[in-house]
Parts: sequence; C-alpha cells; structure tokens
Amino acid sequence: MELLNIEGSKQTPKINFNADTGILEISGRSIPENSFEFYNPILIWLDEYVATPVEKTVIKVNLEYFNTSSSKYILEIFKKMKALHVEKKDIVVEWYYDEDDEEMMETGEDYEDVTGLPFKILQIEE
Amino acid sequence: MDATYDKFRKMNGDNIMLSFKGEITSEIISMVLQIAENKLEAVDEKGSTKRKIFNILVECLQNLYHHAAIDTTNNKKTSQKIALLELWFENNYYYILTANYIKNENVANVKNKLDKINSLSKEELRDFYREILDNDQISEKGGAGLGMIDIARKSGEKLEYNINKVNDELSFIDFKVKIEKK
Repeated sequence: MELLNIEGSKQTPKINFNADTGILEISGRSIPENSFEFYNPILIWLDEYVATPVEKTVIKVNLEYFNTSSSKYILEIFKKMKALHVEKKDIVVEWYYDEDDEEMMETGEDYEDVTGLPFKILQIEE
Repeated sequence: MDATYDKFRKMNGDNIMLSFKGEITSEIISMVLQIAENKLEAVDEKGSTKRKIFNILVECLQNLYHHAAIDTTNNKKTSQKIALLELWFENNYYYILTANYIKNENVANVKNKLDKINSLSKEELRDFYREILDNDQISEKGGAGLGMIDIARKSGEKLEYNINKVNDELSFIDFKVKIEKK
C-alpha cells in the first residue's frame, strides 16, 4: 500500500500514514472550513488499510488546534479503526496534549469514551 | 480634531484588538486568523487563554461562513455574506462579538439552541457535546451542530445574544462571547 503523506498548512494537519509500520500520525492544526474535502481521501485510504493491516497499529494524534468541523472526521477515523479492535487486532490511539492544554486532554477522554478504543493520553514532553 | 482621529483614539482606548466588517470568504477567514494570532502573540497572555480565544474565533468565523444570510436589504444584487467581527479586552475579560443577518425561518432554531446551551452546566455541556459528536449525522455544512457548544465550553460563560427582525425575510443577530483572562 502507498504511504499517505500530506504536508501541513495553516489550516490543515500534517498526515503521515504508513501501512508498512502501522504508524498513522496526524499533527499540527486542523481548522478547515470544509473538512470533508480534506478528510475524505484519508478515510478512503483507511478503508484499504483496515482490509490488510499490519500486526500492530498506532494512531498518533498530536494537534495544536482543531475545529468542530474536523472533530466529526477525526471520530470517523477512529470508527474505521474500531473494526480492527473488534477483530482483536492490536491497536492503540496515542493522544498528545500540551501541558497547559487541559481541554485537549479532556477531548482525548471524550473520544476514548465515545469510541471504546484503547487510548494513551500523553502529555507532550517540553 | 477630525472624526478619523477620534475613531482612532477610541479604538485604541477600548483595547480593540481586531475589528472587521465585510464579506466572509475562506481567504478572509485565513487572514483574520493570522492577524488575530499575531496580536495574541504580541500580548503577554497565558498560552491557555490565547488558545481559547483562537479556538473560539475559528468557530465564530466558520459559523459566519456557513450560516450568515446574504444581505438583501439594500436591493443591490449581491451574493455576499457580510458580517462584523470584533475582538477586544475589557476589565479582565476578552470579548468576541459577531453580527450578521440570518433568515427569519432560522431564528427559532438558533434561539432554541442558544437558550438550551445557556441552560446547561459545565458537565451537562460536556455530555451534550459527546452526544452530538457521537450522533452519526454530519450536516452538509460540516459543522455537525457542535460549534456553539464548543464555544460555550471554551468560554465557560453564558453566551449573550440579541436577535431583531429587520424585514419579512431577515433578522439581525449579534452574538457575544466572554473569555476570562487567567
């Protein structure tokens, strides 16, 4: 499977999804007006990945900002991964937050509750 | 002194950090956010407060982009969504104000939503957010109805608004968010 690499911008996050290592990273900021345009290709890539995953999948989410329009699509990403969890595959979400960003930590907890996926909520080391 | 000088002095005195009135396009949003970010960077403010202000500005601008009604009051043929956005600091609070037209047919919905949000406690807002997040409907405009809840959660204060009928088609809404300086 091809790697999915998207450069970050002022409005959209950097995407680095590697189907060979199973490490899927989202970082930067996600505040586009039209999140569908940005996230749809990512969801399509994940459909393919979920069909032929590697042994262990790690989703790393390290976002400085994200808007509510993105939040639905981030949930969609987790929901695709839920299929792997249901099949008892090894999958973990690493959710990073800044030391003084309590809200980002709470958002991680919200996603953990809503998705039922294994989460590691981790403070970014300064 | 002339009127411009008065206005200049007044804007300085009122601690207005940002004041914009015009069409809300994707490019404008991007520029306004860039200016806001630079301004916030320049003031000696805690990261968490800056982050809240920036997040709320993003949601406010995107609300305007998706939901402001086109101004048809001056009979000119226009397809522009005109809105006002201000950010200022006063007595230990940052304020974000938006003002725009909305269609009369949407007034009841907006009112119900804002009144419901204002009636909820911090914990209830969090539950409401999770409930809407987990509901499968992604609205055409992508907002999923989460924007206002998110603004209220980040602000931690009640949302202030006024809606006044302008004519048979349009009403005018102003919407104010408070963010405590911490």
